[in-house]
Amino acid sequence: MRRRALLGGLAGLSLAGCAPKDPRPAITVQRIFGDCRAHVPKGGAPTQNLNGECEIITGLLDRFEAENPDIRLNVNAVAWPGYDQLSAQIAADDAPDLVTMHMAVIPDYQIHGLLTPLDAGLKAQGVTPDQFTPVARRAVTMDGEVYGLPFDAWTQLFHINMNLFARAGLVRGGEPVLPRNAAELLDQARRFRAATGKPYLVQSSVNERAAFARNLYTYLLSAHEVIFPDPHHIRLNTPRAREVVGLFKRIHDERLTTRDLDYVAATTAFINGEGGVYIVGTWMIGNFDNEAAQAGRPLYRGYRVKPYPALFGDPVLPAFVDGHAWVMPKRRRTPEQERAAFRLLKFLSVHEGDWTRSGHLTSMAAVVGDPVYQAQPHRRDLMAITSYGQGLPTDVQRQFAIQAMLSEELAAAITGIKPIDRALTDAERRINDMLTNLS
Amino acid sequence: MSALALPVVRGRQVWAWARIAFCAVMLALVLAPLLWTVFLSFRTNIDLLRQAPLDLRGPYTLDNYAELLRNQTLFRWFFNSLVVSTVTVAGVLTLSSLAGYAFGRLEFPGRNWLYLIVLAGLAIPDQSVILTRHQIFSDLHWHNTYRALILPGLSAPLGVFLMTEAFRAIPRAQDDAARLDRANAIATFWHVLLPQTVPALASLGIYTFLLSWNDYWWPLISATRPSMYTLTEGMAAAQSNYVEVLGKGVLMAEAVVAGLPVLIVYILFQKHIVNAVTGMVKL
Repeated sequence: MRRRALLGGLAGLSLAGCAPKDPRPAITVQRIFGDCRAHVPKGGAPTQNLNGECEIITGLLDRFEAENPDIRLNVNAVAWPGYDQLSAQIAADDAPDLVTMHMAVIPDYQIHGLLTPLDAGLKAQGVTPDQFTPVARRAVTMDGEVYGLPFDAWTQLFHINMNLFARAGLVRGGEPVLPRNAAELLDQARRFRAATGKPYLVQSSVNERAAFARNLYTYLLSAHEVIFPDPHHIRLNTPRAREVVGLFKRIHDERLTTRDLDYVAATTAFINGEGGVYIVGTWMIGNFDNEAAQAGRPLYRGYRVKPYPALFGDPVLPAFVDGHAWVMPKRRRTPEQERAAFRLLKFLSVHEGDWTRSGHLTSMAAVVGDPVYQAQPHRRDLMAITSYGQGLPTDVQRQFAIQAMLSEELAAAITGIKPIDRALTDAERRINDMLTNLS
Repeated sequence: MSALALPVVRGRQVWAWARIAFCAVMLALVLAPLLWTVFLSFRTNIDLLRQAPLDLRGPYTLDNYAELLRNQTLFRWFFNSLVVSTVTVAGVLTLSSLAGYAFGRLEFPGRNWLYLIVLAGLAIPDQSVILTRHQIFSDLHWHNTYRALILPGLSAPLGVFLMTEAFRAIPRAQDDAARLDRANAIATFWHVLLPQTVPALASLGIYTFLLSWNDYWWPLISATRPSMYTLTEGMAAAQSNYVEVLGKGVLMAEAVVAGLPVLIVYILFQKHIVNAVTGMVKL
């Protein structure tokens, strides 16, 4: 009896081995944003967090699979930001077909010839670079070729607790009163503190690898400062840079900001009404809106989000913008696989507007004018950023590492560990040391 | 009781209480983060986001664990971790005890030099060989297989060192006695000496299990397909970008589940751990 069962099992296994091979072209998509299958049933709506990044992208890829049964889609969800895995896969000649990549990171791979130019394939699908917003187009174009399909634009913003602003007399006609220069910012922050007993700014300053650098980039770019004079050098110790860092140091010294909070603590502090303005990215808009809809919560009916105010009389409005894009690492593919990958890119470009429900800004020019997009919360306040926002040059590598080093030095300057001059000089030296040693 | 003895007794009592108090404080320091993790895993994400500090009175929920159960891939990652850790432990114990026996009890030419070379492995950090290792496994097309996840863990110079010292600590007379009973080298190893190294084997096994179970970096770059993720890698991949803000409860539940096997190993082998540690102190 036992022998029969064993033989039966073996026969079953060998038959399974003889199963016909799936003739459909298979493509692998590698993405960040987490795994939420537990509450996103295949073919159904999410049971929670409808506008979360994970929920939207899971739903979109499911939909592509359902609408394109002739393509076999494998989805790899990888830990953020996913570049260790990608580099390892490229080294092992096992790269996925499409990968999510921050626009600022594209040069790291493009310069080494590891990415496929997308122009011809996208054009065959009816997607052309003139459909992208100017800032997105610049960010994905290198040496005259497009290396990524833009999927969004994100930026840091002033998230405002309107209930506390009202107590401080900083609301006029239902709109938050934002400063028009650095002196006004300090003045309003002091008034805010006196009226509410709470700091004006909520900032993440512990283990923070990006926020301070983004603040500085924002106000350097609006002054048309040349941050990277060439691909191997950064210039930071300028009068404007000292002015910007000096302002944030003053805010810190006068206790007009929260202190010693990490990202989680800062977010929790803002949600719990512990400060007036939280400087954080587009991705938190949906969550803060949810809080604003809950009666009894500190943000109830009292949340607005605005671009950074112009504080230094600059020629253009301040906004440092980056974004996510889809790139295609180089590898051997059959023509059918390549066509399938471009069909997915086309699908993602068509549904980029759905992705913006997460709070991110659009990178597609047509979506900017779409009434559905405009009807999303706060979009009217933020839409213009997609035209005036500025990214970093595309011929400079290692932007993530640069951002981390710069933020470390800026944190040291703002909290008084180092004098501003020395921190900026140190940041310049460390970053230039890295850039000049890149292959 | 004499007048002189009273202060001595009191002094001993004070000392005993001081030791208990010290141990209690140390215990609290060790237990607090573990208990806090368990506590957070039974709270809703929204509570965790809103409340700081949290109210111990509740409310509590099982939702985070229910979400884990709905995530079918988690079980696959758990299974992968179990296979990788168990096979690695078995491999390390086998290889280290054989090597330890050879280095500790047998005479052969070049033994000391060979032992030195093995010990030099202790000074080479994993990070410095990761590129070469990755390339070798790429050339063999072994990435995304159990082989790739298990083989690097089998190279355990610390294990060889521990087992060599354990074998050296056994009196030589026992080899002679075994030889008189006509036991060959293998029989002496298996029947006479190996049973006496169980405490060292236990501590090495537990150490290897922990190392393998908690390994993140090598699986991260070798297992790039979700079906081959280990638990650590899968849990990291499953986190949404802002999970520390939005999904803390589920994250804590995952941490509890991931920590359970380690806890079970400790409970099952705690006698051996204590013996191993006290044995090593004596060495």
